Amino acid sequence: MTPGNHMLHLLVILFASIFTDNILLARFLGMCSFLSVSRQVKTAVGLGFAVVFVMTFTTALDWFAYRHVLQPYGIEYFRFILFIIIIAAFVQFIEMAIERYSPALYQNLGIFLPLITVNCAILGASLFMVIRDYNLIEGVVFGFGSGAGWMLAIVTMAGIREKLNNARIPRGLQGPGITLIIAGLMALAFIGFTGVLSGQ
Amino acid sequence: MGLRGKTWFPILYMFIVTLTLSAILILFGNITRQRVTNNERIAYERAVLRALPVDLPSGAGPAQIHNIFLANITDPDEKSAGAHRYMVEDSLLAYALPFEGAGFWAPIKGVIGISRDRKTITGIAFYEQNETPGLGGEIVKTEFTRQFVGKKLAMTPPYIEFLPATATLDESSVHAITGATQTSNRLGKFMNTILGTWREHMDDPQ
Amino acid sequence: MMPQKSTKDVVLTAVWGDNPVFRQILGICSALAVTNLVLNTLVMGLAVVFTTALSGFTVSLLRKWTPRVIRMMIEVLIIAFYVILFDQTLKAYWPEMSRNLGPYVGLIITNCIIMGRAEAFANANPPLLSFVDGLFSGLGYALVLLAVAVIRELLGMGSLLGIPMPLFSSALWDRWIIMVMPPGAFFTLAIIVWLARTIQVDKDIKKQGGK
Repeated sequence: MTPGNHMLHLLVILFASIFTDNILLARFLGMCSFLSVSRQVKTAVGLGFAVVFVMTFTTALDWFAYRHVLQPYGIEYFRFILFIIIIAAFVQFIEMAIERYSPALYQNLGIFLPLITVNCAILGASLFMVIRDYNLIEGVVFGFGSGAGWMLAIVTMAGIREKLNNARIPRGLQGPGITLIIAGLMALAFIGFTGVLSGQ
Repeated sequence: MGLRGKTWFPILYMFIVTLTLSAILILFGNITRQRVTNNERIAYERAVLRALPVDLPSGAGPAQIHNIFLANITDPDEKSAGAHRYMVEDSLLAYALPFEGAGFWAPIKGVIGISRDRKTITGIAFYEQNETPGLGGEIVKTEFTRQFVGKKLAMTPPYIEFLPATATLDESSVHAITGATQTSNRLGKFMNTILGTWREHMDDPQ
Repeated sequence: MMPQKSTKDVVLTAVWGDNPVFRQILGICSALAVTNLVLNTLVMGLAVVFTTALSGFTVSLLRKWTPRVIRMMIEVLIIAFYVILFDQTLKAYWPEMSRNLGPYVGLIITNCIIMGRAEAFANANPPLLSFVDGLFSGLGYALVLLAVAVIRELLGMGSLLGIPMPLFSSALWDRWIIMVMPPGAFFTLAIIVWLARTIQVDKDIKKQGGK
């Protein structure tokens, strides 16, 4: 691939992971925290940033673990456990670092970090990276894009739900029900992006 | 409290549990490993045979597939530019060219059979895909694959063209799958790229 | 003698009363993606039941020994163990299905429900009871997924388990392609949740004497 083609290929991966192959709206990952933390834009933004940050770094770390530890020994099936351990350890480490060096950042971002360990989107991004056989750069771009896409989805959802605070929603739909419907409409809207890049 | 009260107990415990579980998993992995590689190999061989004008009984089991494959198909070499050769009694009947590329969801891998004249397609088959069931996933169905039988590769790219379902076809085009634009486009693209490279190599053996 | 929960109570609570998906919409993450086909959902449901029941049993077996400080790590390890066993078995004996389910079987490990059951129940109850609790929690969860899958495959592809159904695969029914795509899953689950919640709310009102 020529350098130009390569850049384009990476841009396509980035675009796809944010819009058309959105890890939440198209792949259903990260729903737990999505449904519970999407009431206010402020918290959504905080959690979103945390997810982007963790996802980008853990896909890189997981890539190394897969290529240089699991594959050489033929124990690829251990990736589930190893990836989770790496993610948990990374989050723990970052939380301690942020708490120590920047209390301000900790208030805005750090408090969300424990929520991230149980976010299946983080593990999911690494698993998809393995399935699609991405190299390191493609993997990191994909991880960043997936995180950004997740953040986009949750912030948009929070914005919409804030506006719905005064709407009269039937009792059975309040909470998870209406959130799922909004998510469905958003997923529908995002499918419209499929035609934007013909190179996809 | 005794043992449990010691500070090193949690670490030892974790260690023992991890070791036991890992040991069982590795044992299990080794038992199933052979099967997993066999499955993949058989899927590949089945696709190669399906793409060629080989008489493959529909209920053929893995052993049968493997035997037919061994009896009639040669491995790819330099002269065939990556394609298998289908030989019957020392004479070449067709080539089977494996192709793969990025589908919409995951890699798509298949085989295209081209007859001795290097133009006529004998068939295509897929051995790995993970596209949307009901849409992109339809590429493995006979309605889609049998379109390719008898088509001729064009002289210039696209050697095989994917047209909308309403268009009229000629001898070098097939219908794409309605509602699976992405899968069809991508498949068309990498199929043609690989066909192009193969043709170049075959026409100019140097 | 400490009053032990009768098995019947455990079963009923796990499937209906405490049904995680109805009450808390937990852990739908991994599973919605495979609900476009009933067959895939059945296998996924089996995976969840297998994992929840056996990990509940194992966690409960070890509960007197497991130090509190590493309790969650041990739970994750045990859950991961059973998931990997299932995933590897699938890969070896049904490779096509393994490919269809993709990473979603592995993602069962992060499924909030299984961890939740281990934490809430298996840690404090005997092994056999924990097994039953896990079994029926998993079943309740699988049932909801099946409901979504039946609706999606029937309306979207006109078939069930790959077999074309009488009215829905005929020319009279214009297939709802949206059901084949992600939004379809969201909408279907939303409607099911709506129905379940409304029934539950009505029941609660009746119980409280119409207050």
